[in-house]
Amino acid sequence: MKRLLFGLTACFVAVLSLAQAPGERLPSVIVAPIGNVQLRAGGTADLALDFRIGTDFHINSNKPRADYLIPTVLKLNSQEPVAVADVKYPAGEDMAFSFSPNEKLSVYSGDFSINAVLTAPASAAAGTYPVKGELRFQACDRSACYPPRSIALQFQVTVVKK
Amino acid sequence: MKRNVVVFVMLVVVVIGMLSVGRYLDRTRTHGPTKLVGNVHNVPAPDFELPTLDGRRLKLSDFRGQAVLLNFWATWCPPCKIEMPWFVDIQKQYGKDGLVVLGVAMDDTEAAKIAAFAHEMGVNYPVLLGTDQVSDEYGDVQSLPTTFYIDRNGNIVTKSVGLLDRAEIEDDVKKALDSKYKPATLQPDRVQAVLKVAQVKEAKR
Repeated sequence: MKRLLFGLTACFVAVLSLAQAPGERLPSVIVAPIGNVQLRAGGTADLALDFRIGTDFHINSNKPRADYLIPTVLKLNSQEPVAVADVKYPAGEDMAFSFSPNEKLSVYSGDFSINAVLTAPASAAAGTYPVKGELRFQACDRSACYPPRSIALQFQVTVVKK
Repeated sequence: MKRNVVVFVMLVVVVIGMLSVGRYLDRTRTHGPTKLVGNVHNVPAPDFELPTLDGRRLKLSDFRGQAVLLNFWATWCPPCKIEMPWFVDIQKQYGKDGLVVLGVAMDDTEAAKIAAFAHEMGVNYPVLLGTDQVSDEYGDVQSLPTTFYIDRNGNIVTKSVGLLDRAEIEDDVKKALDSKYKPATLQPDRVQAVLKVAQVKEAKR
């Protein structure tokens, strides 16, 4: 069901995007629905956050190849006792574009996932805790670039005792 | 499950319909006098006053009588970076014919960073610090680069969105330079109109 909703939302965004005239199309990045995360007190949980970038657009990876480019960054704000121990970004795809054939850029396009490692101390009380975050990115297509944007995301972490 | 999908699809159809109607209304309604929408050919370029990187303030109307290449760009925009050396050359080549290149930086960052970037790129033309208001007046500039080619009378000859070939840019520059400057007070149609009003007033006396 989650995949179906993600797919339908992506289709919806794609239709809207195509309905706009060239040069008026704005980039879209959507996040797949995130289910409730189970986390054992004293343990860790790996969470894959799935994103989809609109057709024909790309965004800089987390490690773009030049200082002047804006990296994709995921910020997660958890509530105690849940902590975000690590955020792992995928490697970017090295691509050259017609606007800069001699300069390869490190980008994400299509679908990509960012992994977050969540932890809770052994003393954590059982319960459900919200995590809010945002993905900041700056997108381009083959001839133009668009101002940096952020999309919000949110999910619940359920801490269970051993 | 099936019901959810049907509801979702119906929702999508309704939203697309509403957006289409909204876009249609947006295109047909009357906008404010200075906000550019639709075809901008021969439309007066909205005047503005913006700070430059070196602390001056420039108005677009300061350049009346000259053709202006007005380029919206940002430091994080690779296609914009490709164009900048072309604009440097174009300013050198066509400056003597009355062309002025103006860059409008749309970065949300401090001027010093933009200045360092422009210096690194060898920019030889004024760079202005853009604002949302100016972006809005020029039709909500979201895609960068976006360039307006403005004739000597302050009217837009053409607009380009995204990176073009250098040859196309030069063609548009030549179109902007082609126009003859007609000072507002000497425009024949305006003179005729003033004369007509004077004649009517005279006849009424």
